[in-house]
Amino acid sequence: MEPHTADGAAIEFRDVSYLLPAGQQILSHLNLQVLRGETLILLGRSGSGKTTTLKLVNRLLSPSSGEVCVNGFSIKNGDVIRLRRGLGYVIQDVGLFPHFNVERNIALVPRLEGWPEERVQGRVRELLELVGLEEHIASRYPHQLSGGQRQRVGVARALAADPAILLMDEPFGALDPLTRDELQREFLALQRRLSKTVVFVTHDLREALRLGSRIALLEAGRVVTVLSPPEFLRSQNPLAAAYARAFANGPNSAAY
Amino acid sequence: MRTLRHHRFRAVLAVIVIVLALLSSCSVSRVHRIVIGSKNFTESLILAEIMAQQIEAHSHLEVERRFYLAGTYICQQAILAGRIDIYPEYTGTALTAILKQKAVGSEAAVYQEVKSEYERRWQLTLGPGFGFNDTFAMEIRGEDARRLHIKTLSQAAVYAPQWRAGFGYEFMERPDGFRGLAAAYGLRFAGPPRVMDLGLLARALRDHQIDIAAGNTTDGLIPALDLFVLEDDRHYFPPYEAVPVVREQTLQSHPEVGRALAALAGKISDKEMQQLNYAVDGQHRDVKQVVHDFLRSKGSIDGN
Amino acid sequence: MNFVQFILQNRAQVLDLTLEHLWLVGVSTVLAALVGIPLGITIAHHPRFNKPVLAAANIIQTIPSLALFGFLLPVPWLGDRADRLAILALTLYALLPMIRNTYTGIRGVDVAVLEAGRGMGLSDRQLLLQVEMPLAMSVILSGVRVAVVISVGLATIAAAIGAGGLGELIFRGLAMVSNQLILAGAIPAALLALLADLGLGWVERRLRPQ
Repeated sequence: MEPHTADGAAIEFRDVSYLLPAGQQILSHLNLQVLRGETLILLGRSGSGKTTTLKLVNRLLSPSSGEVCVNGFSIKNGDVIRLRRGLGYVIQDVGLFPHFNVERNIALVPRLEGWPEERVQGRVRELLELVGLEEHIASRYPHQLSGGQRQRVGVARALAADPAILLMDEPFGALDPLTRDELQREFLALQRRLSKTVVFVTHDLREALRLGSRIALLEAGRVVTVLSPPEFLRSQNPLAAAYARAFANGPNSAAY
Repeated sequence: MRTLRHHRFRAVLAVIVIVLALLSSCSVSRVHRIVIGSKNFTESLILAEIMAQQIEAHSHLEVERRFYLAGTYICQQAILAGRIDIYPEYTGTALTAILKQKAVGSEAAVYQEVKSEYERRWQLTLGPGFGFNDTFAMEIRGEDARRLHIKTLSQAAVYAPQWRAGFGYEFMERPDGFRGLAAAYGLRFAGPPRVMDLGLLARALRDHQIDIAAGNTTDGLIPALDLFVLEDDRHYFPPYEAVPVVREQTLQSHPEVGRALAALAGKISDKEMQQLNYAVDGQHRDVKQVVHDFLRSKGSIDGN
Repeated sequence: MNFVQFILQNRAQVLDLTLEHLWLVGVSTVLAALVGIPLGITIAHHPRFNKPVLAAANIIQTIPSLALFGFLLPVPWLGDRADRLAILALTLYALLPMIRNTYTGIRGVDVAVLEAGRGMGLSDRQLLLQVEMPLAMSVILSGVRVAVVISVGLATIAAAIGAGGLGELIFRGLAMVSNQLILAGAIPAALLALLADLGLGWVERRLRPQ
């Protein structure tokens, strides 16, 4: 099939709308491009459609109209399993398999992909090191880990099969501020090393400014504007400006 | 990486499952064991005990007794499933209750029908009859029978309008009970029959509260109370010949069982069965002892 | 002679009857699991069916067991052999715990875990076999345990219709007014139920996710 997007767009949303079965419109003629190698933040308040947008990429949800393209191809009719195996997915609650230890959690997808056992084990060690966990954590079970450790494992698991694209839905939202700060720093270091394409959902402007290469501001199911962090802070767009003001008024006013 | 604990747990689980599977598939050796069943009334018990002692005396087989099974259906199920090998049945009961056919025909015809059906359907064999019929008996006082010189129901029908009758609940209710009998013999009694408990009928008869009662031909109280059984000359009541029912497989594996049972053929008359019943029910003697004495008197087993 | 001596004297018979009892319970439990667990999984994944299915299983449960044995008797093929009939009836009674516990166990799996699994590219089957079932296993087993204990008790009633088992000793004992016989049937049956409860409870605890 002929690719029909511009070179460099890892993900493209074309005129995408999404309606709930009950009829509410969550996304409305959304158009957006995610460039290869960038960290695109989806920023917005609750109900703005950012998580829905993310889930359209790995087809946990399907658009009511419009098209979603990954790596140039429409994902509508392809093999959804293969699509998802090629995407890393990290969610706020992490969702580690409680009956698997850390090693089995991380190694799940590589094993499903049929990697030779040696390669799998090497990869697990590599990833633990990458996310800053000691090797002995590999035999622990999720309930024995702290919140921060769990999310690190979540990230390691998402990276296990070395996907080019990473989807992250408020991954650090449930962590305490110190741990969140730590993980944000490590995320930046990881990005510098790996240069993945990342779509990152958050409603925290500071996180967006810190981690993103571009910020897509969503409101009521539409993309209001897409700006780089410095542009965002200078923006005249009323919503962007409102956001900036809300966060500038101190950490408490921007509390969750 | 599976832990050792995990492996050991799985091993224990596997062992338990295997043991259970083995246990449930094997059964204790039945090679030299015969199981005899009986229904839960005295006559059935006596017949089963007779067969048991007979087989014990004439073979090296161990006999297990599973007596007091609740009824015909239970016994049938048990023998079909191979849980028992032998039990005493009545041809009439087999024909109506198990084969679900109408009970018509002579004693020999009914026997043949049951025997061939049992063999065809279920590989069960009917042994030769024990020698008596346990069917419905219309009883009158012995003194009346002698005084009026009557032996059959047709003869008695003449006197019926002067008599009061007493029957059990079932005999009154069943279409092949009183209603059919009255029609077959043109019986009319002085007033409607009294309905009472089976156990009280014989005494009521003796005490002149009733003049004719419906009981069983092998009732122990018949000789004891000098009652007389009127002959069913119009053959209204179906034959209920007492016979052993045996699994064919049992006979093939242990031909000595067949021989032992054959030796009992025709050995028990109606009167003898009445006496055996009375010994257990009326005199409260132990079944095993009663049977032992009976078989000895017949020369079937050696005395000791 | 007390019932212990009776059992010892008639070991062969009691063992035979115990094995018959185990056979009735074992076959019906396996059948109920083969039907009930997949059914439970189905209604867990498609909740609009859960009310009718659970209601149907519930209704079966309310039928007095002796009555169920009784009105299955005239059914052709089934009524011909008491053990077939008993196994069917016991299977029906074991369905509710199987279905309900499977449903509860699968619904109890953390939604985040399912979402992460699906997002990672696990197929429905892989999700079911590698994630949902292992996590629900302890609850499912608890349903099996309840089913087995119920069956051991109900199987004693099956003797009333000629299916054999330890209940036969109880019924014969009642007819003969013999306490030894009654106890020789009742005590082993109770022990079987107890052993099943303890044994399966142990396995359940081992399988519970920490």
